[in-house]
Amino acid sequence: MLKYLVILLDEKSVSFCHYENPVKENKLISKEDLKAGILFAMKENLNIQFVYPSEELPKEYSEIINTIDHSDIKPISKQRADVLICNSVTEFSNNEINKEQVYVIRTKKEDFFTNLSLLKKNIFKVQRVNMVLTDIDTFSEKDFEKYKEALKELSLETEKQIGKGGFSQINILTDRIMLKQMNNCNAGAEVITLAPNGKFYVCPAFYLEDEKQSIGSLSEGVNIKNAQLYQLDHAPLCRICDSYHCKRCVWLNKKTTFELNTPSHEQCVVSHLERNAAKDLLLKTQIFDNEIKEIDYLDPFEVREQW
Amino acid sequence: MNQIKEDRRQWQDGMAKSITFIVTKDCQLACKYCYLVGKNEKERMTFEVAKQAIDYILEREEEFNEESVTWDFIGGEPFLEIELIDKICDYLKQRMFELNHHWFNSYRFNFSTNGINYDSKPVQDYIKKNITHLSIGITIDGTELKHDLNRVYKHSGKGSYKDVVKNIPLWLEQFPGAGTKVTISSADIPYIKESVLHLYSLGIKQVNINVVFEDVWKEGDDKLFEEQLMILADEIIEKEYYREYTCSFFSERLGKPLDKKLMNQNWCGAGKMLSIDAQGNFYPCTRFAQYSLRDKQALIIGNVKEGINKNLLRPFLCLDRCTQSKQECIDCEVAEGCAWCQGENYDAAKTNTIYERSTAICKMHKARVRANNYYWNKLFRKLELEGEREKFEKNKKEFNEKIC
Ligand code: SF4
Ligand code: SF4
Repeated sequence: MLKYLVILLDEKSVSFCHYENPVKENKLISKEDLKAGILFAMKENLNIQFVYPSEELPKEYSEIINTIDHSDIKPISKQRADVLICNSVTEFSNNEINKEQVYVIRTKKEDFFTNLSLLKKNIFKVQRVNMVLTDIDTFSEKDFEKYKEALKELSLETEKQIGKGGFSQINILTDRIMLKQMNNCNAGAEVITLAPNGKFYVCPAFYLEDEKQSIGSLSEGVNIKNAQLYQLDHAPLCRICDSYHCKRCVWLNKKTTFELNTPSHEQCVVSHLERNAAKDLLLKTQIFDNEIKEIDYLDPFEVREQW
Repeated sequence: MNQIKEDRRQWQDGMAKSITFIVTKDCQLACKYCYLVGKNEKERMTFEVAKQAIDYILEREEEFNEESVTWDFIGGEPFLEIELIDKICDYLKQRMFELNHHWFNSYRFNFSTNGINYDSKPVQDYIKKNITHLSIGITIDGTELKHDLNRVYKHSGKGSYKDVVKNIPLWLEQFPGAGTKVTISSADIPYIKESVLHLYSLGIKQVNINVVFEDVWKEGDDKLFEEQLMILADEIIEKEYYREYTCSFFSERLGKPLDKKLMNQNWCGAGKMLSIDAQGNFYPCTRFAQYSLRDKQALIIGNVKEGINKNLLRPFLCLDRCTQSKQECIDCEVAEGCAWCQGENYDAAKTNTIYERSTAICKMHKARVRANNYYWNKLFRKLELEGEREKFEKNKKEFNEKIC
């Protein structure tokens, strides 16, 4: 069932996830479409998340936005929002860090591995950070090794912080500790996106990849073809998996395996390295009442159901 | 139930790898039902491409670790490229031997041909050279009338029946027990009975016959189909063909409900097979090459230079019955034996996915199940009355249905 509506206020709205937004020219959503989008969300009982560009919005837009309870996703330059987006570890570290904020750090493996110390220095200053590795699909065996080590380092720091009575949530390490069931991105199942052209998309990535991939419009409503393929029970690997924190990104799935419901090997291994790091951290700290089992594979494909 | 699961697993594990070379897209015929939308005279495989593919495959013995292998040659019409094929097979044998590959003791070359140049010298030389590792299927659609309705020459439009049938005795002499494959489309329904009986009369004992998966069925086709199968059943039973001949329409493993958990396997072998085309592209099955697709883009999973992209194989290897089926099919009381083709599913799907099962054959399957029930009830009653049932059960051949 749909629960959230992401509204891209502008063609240049910041990317908050795996995809890049290459658009250079601003183009705001029309005021009519913005109002209609809000009305749609009210009638369908959806929570709205507005995604902003770095440029200021005209005053009338802010007025319309404020007619409804919502959350804001903004570039870090805006300094205040429900979620602030940075595009590298350095960008995160170079900005004034606000303790109360939730940050998304979009990063590539090189940036992440190289700037790990910088990250460790700053990440515990805030209550929550979502790390998004945008090039998971390029991870090699060597990268898996490096990633495992990096997670171990982050885990050690977290342990120390817990020792001192603090706790910062880092999605790739601590989310799994707290989860008892799947908690994925759920684009196409619980979340859809309204683009500045007045059409609905599974997520902004699908819109930016090809405008023709829309799943409906404000005038005609939402109609997702083969909607079942966005559901967990139709994902043969994910439904047997306990990397509950995994984004299970349907857009990356489509890109790497041509199927929305089937993840790549790289996606699964990365998520399992995170899961296993979480398991070790939980074992050491017992900070939550949860249990993560010992398993001997990193890719559920190896233990898939076969008949 | 567990027993059944066990049996199927053994059968699947023991499955041979099937590797298909699409050697040419040319054919002498232009069959009206041919699914090869993009047939042409230009795309022929070079030996170099075949060699690269073979090297790629044979050098990865731990990846391609099935017990045995079937090297398939298809077209268009594969025998149009018999010289190339001969060279490919020589190279295959040489490399399997040199590499001490476990397939050297367990390989087969397989052909589906229209049979027109079966008796030509190059083809016959090839057959004699490879006969111990060879299987060949010739396609005849039944009676002359039925055959020539569809299987006509490309340029003249003339029927090809006579040119094929003249080669049948030689073929059966070289491959006793060989079977033929018949594909039924809407217009063929009225000829089913006479076609199967005609093939029997030519000495062909195994008739693999199935309805096409495409959405071609008209109102009332299922009734007609059921009637045809019933008169065919009467004839097979009356004339006692069942003693020596088989027709794949009638199968004891048909028309029961399927357990959601235990009987959840995929039907089609796409992804466990591999096809290579003239450009050196790899496909999960030939049906995913552009020339066999109507509405979708080819689904290429790699090529001879860069190898197979294993991520692209994952969806195929994760496929199961229920995930791709509608609730109606999952709950179906007569689901067993209702087949599908992953390529047709992909081609017909609303979105670009192999996870949406096409159900165009639904009413045809149900008609088949009714006729099949009739057949077995009638046959078993006859055998019981004659005191022959036990003997029949003992001698009956296990029969693996081939649907593509
Ligand atoms: S780790 Fe792999 S199988 Fe598990 S939820 Fe993530 S994508 Fe799905
Ligand atoms: S599908 Fe979800 S996880 Fe993937 S890019 Fe879109 S929002 Fe992010």
